[in-house]
Order: sequence, then structure tokens, then C-alpha cells
Amino acid sequence: MGVRLIEFHLDARSGIAPYLQIVGQVRQALLLGLLSEGDQLPTVKQVVAKVAINPNTVSKAYRELEHQGLATAKPGVGTFVTRSLGQASLAEHAPLQGELRAWLAKARAAGLTEPGIEALFSTTFRESAEAEKEAEK
Amino acid sequence: MSAILHAQALGKRYGRRQALAECTLQIPPGHVVGLVGPNGAGKTTLLKIACGMLAPTAGEIEVLGEQPAADPAQLARVGYVAQDTPTYPGLSVADHLKLGAKMNPRWDAKLAQARIEQLDLYPKQKAGKLSGGQRAQLALTVAVAKRPELLILDEPVASLDPLARRSFLRHLMESVAENNTSVILSSHLVSDLERVCDYLIVLVSSRVQLAGETEDLLAQHHRIVCTRRKETDLPSGLEVIRAEQTDRQSTFIVRGESEIPAGDWSAEHLDLEDLVLTYMERAADPGHRGTTHPTGDAR
Amino acid sequence: MIWLTFRQFRTQALTALVILAAAAIAFLITGLHLRHTFTADLASCGAQNDCSDVLNQLRYTYDSAFNLTQLLVTAAPALIGIFWGAPLIGRELESGTHQLAWNQSVTRTRWLAVKLVGVGAASIATAGLLSYLLTWWAGPLDQINGDRFGAMTFSTRDIVPLAYAAFAFALGTTAGLLLRRTVPAMAVTLAVFIGIQILVPTTIRPNLLPSTSVTFPINQATTSQANGIYGTAGNFRFQGLGVSQGAWVLSGTPVENSSGQVVYMNSYPGCFPGPGAGGAPNKKPGFDRISQIGACLAQDNLHQSITYQPASRYWQLQWIETGIFAALAAALSGFCFWMIRRRQN
Repeated sequence: MGVRLIEFHLDARSGIAPYLQIVGQVRQALLLGLLSEGDQLPTVKQVVAKVAINPNTVSKAYRELEHQGLATAKPGVGTFVTRSLGQASLAEHAPLQGELRAWLAKARAAGLTEPGIEALFSTTFRESAEAEKEAEK
Repeated sequence: MSAILHAQALGKRYGRRQALAECTLQIPPGHVVGLVGPNGAGKTTLLKIACGMLAPTAGEIEVLGEQPAADPAQLARVGYVAQDTPTYPGLSVADHLKLGAKMNPRWDAKLAQARIEQLDLYPKQKAGKLSGGQRAQLALTVAVAKRPELLILDEPVASLDPLARRSFLRHLMESVAENNTSVILSSHLVSDLERVCDYLIVLVSSRVQLAGETEDLLAQHHRIVCTRRKETDLPSGLEVIRAEQTDRQSTFIVRGESEIPAGDWSAEHLDLEDLVLTYMERAADPGHRGTTHPTGDAR
Repeated sequence: MIWLTFRQFRTQALTALVILAAAAIAFLITGLHLRHTFTADLASCGAQNDCSDVLNQLRYTYDSAFNLTQLLVTAAPALIGIFWGAPLIGRELESGTHQLAWNQSVTRTRWLAVKLVGVGAASIATAGLLSYLLTWWAGPLDQINGDRFGAMTFSTRDIVPLAYAAFAFALGTTAGLLLRRTVPAMAVTLAVFIGIQILVPTTIRPNLLPSTSVTFPINQATTSQANGIYGTAGNFRFQGLGVSQGAWVLSGTPVENSSGQVVYMNSYPGCFPGPGAGGAPNKKPGFDRISQIGACLAQDNLHQSITYQPASRYWQLQWIETGIFAALAAALSGFCFWMIRRRQN
């Protein structure tokens, strides 16, 4: 039994499919440098013992990570990270953050409230994500 | 692999009361199945028939390819924990494990012992002195340690506090992951189930209203909100499950195989709770006869 | 399953063992003393008359003990039915634990079979031991009484208690199965058992075998065997007339004349000692007096009838009654199996 490096959590209200949440959390961990190449992801059993979710969800998430080229499954051993998403820290994305700040200022000036800004962002984010998925098909 | 549960027009009648009617199901293996429905819908009846506690009065059922409780070998393949997770109050935790060991050929003593330790249960403690959550965990341990292929749990977390509930589900999922067990568990609350279930059966008024893989069901259903219009004005190929009309607005819950094309409506997916509620409301409607309402050109 | 049956039965078994041990010790100690006294009394009394007084004295000394022990051994099957039978299935159904038991890899039939046979055998053994102890203990007293057919005597000796225990156990089990609650099942079992204990000695047992009727003419020879006259204003009869020692007298007519009419003592004032008018109940003259009365009445062509079971029928009746209750126990058990398999819950 290897050392448990990361733990997952499920946001039941987020509207995002559970397996995608796990994929996202692995990507996040890779981005933040919590996981690097060669690290073992928690076993399905370990994950569900901590987070009461369906084992198939975890399996599906790991398969998706494999599909994205981020992990590989070694039968009988476990699932291991194959590449990191770069050591890039948030600092590298400072320009993006700056653009975001400017846009937020514009939105507030236009009279949008906080929930309004969030709604506008979520809808647009979701629409573009779905459009990207459609484009990929 | 064949279905873990195959029911054909299954029915159970008590005198004049029809507890279960026209129940047809084909549940694939390798899933955690959530059986959800209001109290008195027939969930307990269905589960009792599945584990051989009750005999049906109509239709047929096969569990793991055999008649329920046909013989000791079939009994060994199915684990059952009844509502209120009964245990023998006068017997200790260790006695319960011994019960399991003596009465089941495939008993896994190591697994049972490990779980008891994991749960911090004292072997000598009488089951009557345990808390509700601990009793539920004990009953689950006894059911799991006999290494069944299918676990049937009747409202296992209904009377547990949130902490005990989460703990129970965690241990259950751990068993499923370890042994590849199929599970059928019932609840009258969707929130209990949505974390863990990947197959859903909605049972209302003694009838199966909906059954299928959770993901598929969620993908197939949409809520369409638009200006007031008739069902026939919707895109074709959709089955209208429920319709609500105000003076200005129509809201339709529809089911279809394909994505909703863009139009002067907003279409979004439902969450699991809303989906189940929709079917429950539909079943409670006196006018409902279970017929479909095809939309558009499909008429 | 055997382990589970006895684990569930553990408390009851221990209670029974303690009670049985105490009973055995009590029976043993007092029984040996009784036998010792009995033998000593028999040795000391010379003439026949002396013996009857001494032995009656012995019997009266043990009167309350005799009645009490008979009562306890009568009650034992009822207690078995209530505390061992009613909860057997009833408790499981009441608390829902049958759902735990029936899902183990053991069929319901086997579950019930092991429980019935296991606890049933314990019931029969318990009753058997009590019966054996009481039969041994009461031996001298039964001999003095000369009556093995008393209502509580017959049902607490030899083999009949075993069948009662099996029956009461099966009865309790069935009640628990049908009522699905322990306490109501206990109540029903007790009620039915009491009913049986009242009904059987009075109406059923006497008719298990055809009884014998015999009519005695009243004369000196026949009345010489009598040991008393019981009379009221309306009738009188000779006690112990002609029937062999230990026979079970079921019924009888009072003294009647040749046309079958009941006659009164004061119709024959010359034959009866003491005040002539009216009847003198429970007159107990000496033996030779009775035969004198008989001689006196001989010319009036009177007779008295007795319906009885001869003493030799004792074991036949024991076996028949045992068989009946064993059969009932088997029938009830069969019913339980049938109900369990039906799965209509």
C-alpha cells in the first residue's frame, strides 16, 4: 500500500459529472505540482473508502486520464502519472489574470452584480466547453 | 455476463392490495443499483422477492440466473440486509461473526475481522448495546463477509445520522471495489443514493416508472422552458414526461435519444433529484396511464 | 445451525439445568427419606389394621409435598411451551432477525428442523427427567393411595409427561409462528394447555379404551370387600365394592332396586345403625359392620353398578395418551414447516 498523495472530494451540487470532477482534481494536482511523473494515484478502493462514491466513477475517471495521456494503468499494481502538466505556477499566467481583472472591472462598470457576473461566466464557460466537445467529435 | 436480476411482469398481491405490479427489469451486473420511491411504493416487497423472503403472486424473477433462495448455494451468492438492519440483541459482535462462519461455506473470516477492527467494535459487546449506525455496520459486515455476488440492502441508511450514513456508504463502496459485488440498495431519499448509484430504478405506486444507467438517464432527459405552446410544437422524437403551463410559459420535461436542437427555448439537463421527482409526480397524477406522448412529427 | 440454535437457547438451557439440578437433589433427599420411613413403617406394623393407619399417616404427612410436586410436573410442559416454544419462531419474527437468519446459506426448512429437533429434544429430556424423578419419588405414596389414575397423577408419571412436553413445545412454536409476537403466543399457549389439562382427564382419558361395567348384587359376600358407605338423603352407595385394587372408577350408580330405582337409606331402617330418619352422610362403620348391612339388605334384591378401567389398563392408557399427544406434536410441527415454506410472510 503506497503513500496516499492526494485525496479527492465530490461536490454533489456542482452539476459536473463526478468522474469529471476527479479528472479535474487530478489535473489541478498536477498543475499545482502536488503530483509528478511516476507518482501513483490512489487505488480505486482507497478512493471510495474515503469518498463514498461508486468505484466505476473512479475507474472511468482514471480511464479518461489515460485517454488524455496523463496516466497509465499497470494491471495488478495501480495507476501512475505519466506526465506532469508543467511546473508552471500561477505566476506564468499573470498576463491572463490581468486580462481577467480588467474584464471584471468592465463588467462591474456595466452594472452586473456578483451573481450576474458568475451566471454570465458559467453559461459562457459551459457553452464554450460543449462547443469544444462538439468540435472534437 | 447475464443479468443479476431479471424480472418479467413480476407482481405481488396481498388480498386486495397490489404491493407490486407489472414489474419488468433487466439489471446488468457490476453496478450499484439505486431503488428509489416513496414509502409504500413496493421497494421492500421487490427486494424481499429478490432475496427469496417472499414469493411473488404473478410473473417471474431470476436472480443471478436462479430462483431466489432456491438452495443453499444460491443463498450463498446473495447477501441481504433488511430494513432496520436486524441483529440479535443478545448475541455479541463476535457471536454474529461466528454465526456467519458456521452458516456460510464461503465465509471470509479475515475480512470480517478486519472490518470489525476498522469499525472499532468490541467483539464481546452485545449487539443490543450498539448504536444504530454500529448495528447497521455489523449487519453489513455479516452480509459482506460471506462473499456474495449480489448485495441487497433495504433502506440501510434511513435511520442513521449523517456521519454514520457516510461511514456506511464508504465501507459499502470499499467492499464493492474489493470484491466487484453488485449492489441493489433502496431508499426514499435520492440524496442517499446519488453519490453511489450508477443504475437507477424509480418505483412508484407499485410500478416501475423508470429504469436505466444513471448517466444515460441524465443525458436523455431535458427540461425545456419556452413560451407557451403545445407539445406538438416541440422538436420531434421526444417523449414528454411532464408538462406545465402558465399563461406565458411552458415547461416540458422530455426524454429523447439525441441532443435538443437549438431553438427558441432553453434546454438543460436535470439533476438526479429533479429527475426522480418528475417521475414520482407523474405517477401520482390521477390522469397518468403510463402512455407516452410523442412530440412533433412522430405522431 | 446447530451452534446457533444452542447459542440462542443458552440462557434457557442454563436456567433449566439449575432448576433440574435443584429438583433432582430435593427429590433425591426427600425420596430416600420417604422410602426409609415407608420401609420402617411396613416392618413395624404387624396386623393389617395397624398398617393402614400408619401408612395413611405417612401419606398425610407428605400430602402437601405430593400435591405440590404433581402440580409442578404438570406445569413443566406448560412452562416449556411458553418459554421455549413461543419464542422459538415468534421472537425472530417479532424482531425481524429471521431476515438475518434466513439469508445465511441455510434453507428455512433446515433452520426450522434444527431448532425444532434441538430444543424439542431438550424439552422432552427435561420432562422425562422430571417425570422419572417424580415417579420414583412418589412410588411409596402411589402404593399407599392405590390410585394411579388421579387426574394429576396419571399425567405426571412415566411417559405421558414427555408427550405433553413435546406437544406444548410444538403448540408454543406454532402460536409464535402464527401470531408473530412472543407475549401473545405465550398467553395463547398457556390458555390452550390449561384447557387441555382440564379437558383430557375428565372427558377424553376415560374413553381412550372401552370401559368395563359390572353390577354387584348387594349381599354379605359382595359387601365384605367394601370399605365404606357414602350416603346422602337421596341415595347411598358402597365404596370400594368388588373392583380390584387400583382400578380407575369412572362412574357408577348408587344402590338401586331390581326395577332400577334409586333407594334411600331410611327405607331400610333395620339395616343401618344410628338414627333412622334422614341420611347420615359419610358413615364409616367398621368393616364387619358393612358386611352385616349387606347381609341385612340381601333379601331386598338391591344392586349397584360400577363403570371402571381395570388397573391393568394403566400402561395401555399411558401409551395411547402418549401416542395421541406425540401425534399432535408432529402435526403441529408439520404445519409449521408448511407455513414457513409458503413464503407469504
